[in-house]
Amino acid sequence: MGFNFSGYLFIAIILQLMFAELLTINGFQPNIMLLFIILSSISMESASRATIIGFLIGLFSDLILFSGFYLGLSSLVFSICAYFASQVSSNFAYRNFDLYWLSLVFLGTGLYSFFRYDFFFFNDILFFLKNWFSIALYTFFVGFILTRILGVKQSVLEDA
Amino acid sequence: MTKIDLFFKKNLDSSVLFICILVSFLLIFSNDSQRIQNIRSTTLDTFSFLYKPFNWLDNQIFLTKKLEVLSHENLKLNLENQILSSNKIENERLRNLLKFRKRNELNFIGADILSKGVNSNMSSVLLNRGLVDGVDNNSAVLSSRGVVGKIVFVSDDHSGVQLVSDVNFRLSIKIIPSETEGIMRWIKSDICEVVEVQTTSDVQIGDVILTSNLSLYFPPNLPVGEVISIYKESNSSNKVIRMKLFSDLSILNQLFIVDKEG
Repeated sequence: MGFNFSGYLFIAIILQLMFAELLTINGFQPNIMLLFIILSSISMESASRATIIGFLIGLFSDLILFSGFYLGLSSLVFSICAYFASQVSSNFAYRNFDLYWLSLVFLGTGLYSFFRYDFFFFNDILFFLKNWFSIALYTFFVGFILTRILGVKQSVLEDA
Repeated sequence: MTKIDLFFKKNLDSSVLFICILVSFLLIFSNDSQRIQNIRSTTLDTFSFLYKPFNWLDNQIFLTKKLEVLSHENLKLNLENQILSSNKIENERLRNLLKFRKRNELNFIGADILSKGVNSNMSSVLLNRGLVDGVDNNSAVLSSRGVVGKIVFVSDDHSGVQLVSDVNFRLSIKIIPSETEGIMRWIKSDICEVVEVQTTSDVQIGDVILTSNLSLYFPPNLPVGEVISIYKESNSSNKVIRMKLFSDLSILNQLFIVDKEG
C-alpha cells in the first residue's frame, strides 16, 4: 500500500476545514495542509514535481480554503517546504522520519508567521515567537496523532 | 540559447523552486489588484459550499452554550435598554431645545459567519452576505457588543472581514468622557493598545472607547471597548493606553454590517 495522494489530500482538506471551524485553541489552528505537503513530498523522487505540487496546493489553500488575505503566501511556503521534503534520501527518512517532518513543519510555520506577523518580528519578538511556537506545537501534536492513526510513515517509506 | 537550456537542465529543481517563489511573491504583491480580487470573489462564491457542513455542525454542537450566552446578554441588554430609553427621551428634548442637528440612524445588515478562515491564527472571517445584500467594501462590522472589523472584499454573495485582531488593522477612536482621540491597534486576545494619546489628556481606567468622528469608514460613536491601564512611554510625550474590546473575538457567530446606503 503506497502513499495514496488523492485520498490523503481529501482527508487533509476535510480535517483543515474541521479544525478551522470547530477546533481552534485561542484562535490558533494546526496547519494540516502544510503537514500534508511535507509528508507527500518525502516520497516524491522529483523535487521539481514536488515543488510544483506544493505551489498548486498552496494556491488552492489561498483561493478556496480562504486562508486569509495574502494570495500567494501558502504557495510560497508550500513550494519551499515541498522542495526540502523531497530532497531527503529514503535511508535518512527511514531513520529520522518524525524528526524530519517536525523540522519542516517548524520551518513552514516559521515562514508563515514571519509574513503574517512581520510587524511583531521587528517590534515584539517574544510575541512573534509565542505565535509561531503555538501554531507549530499544535501542528506537531495533531501531526503525531494523524501519522500514527493513518499509518502515514509506512505508506511514505514504501514509496520512497 | 543552448547555454541557458543546459543551465536549466542541470539545475531543474532549483530553477522550478526559484520560479515558484517568484510567482508567489508576484501574487503577494499584487493582492490589491482588481483582477486578483475578482478571482478571489469568484472562487469564494463557487466553493463556499465547502464550509456549510462544518458551519452547521458548529452551530449544532455549541447551540446550547450559544443560547445560554444570548439569554444572559438579552437580559442584561433589556435592563440597560430601560435606562437608555428614559435617557433618550431626555436627550432628544434637550437637543431640540438647543436646536442640534438630527443624528443619522444606522441600519445594519445581519450576517452569519461562514468560515473563520483556514489561517493558523484567526484574523479574518467570511460572511454569507455580499453585493446583492447591499454590502460595500470598507463597511464597519460589529458584533452585538461592539466593533469587530471592516469589510475588505465583497463578492456577489459573500464578504470577507478583516478582524480587529489582524496585525495590520488600525482604528481611529475617542475616549469618553474626555473626548481624547487616538489610534487603536491589536496586541493579543481581546486586548488592544491606543497610541498617539497626549500626556495632558484626562483618561481614567474604566473610560469607554468609541469610534471617533475622524474615521473615513467607521461611523462615529460605535462601541469599541474600555480602558484597562494607562502608562507613559519613555522617550515620548505621549501616553499609551491598554484597552479591552467589548466583543469576544473567540466566540463570534452573527455579525452586523453597517449599511452605508441606509
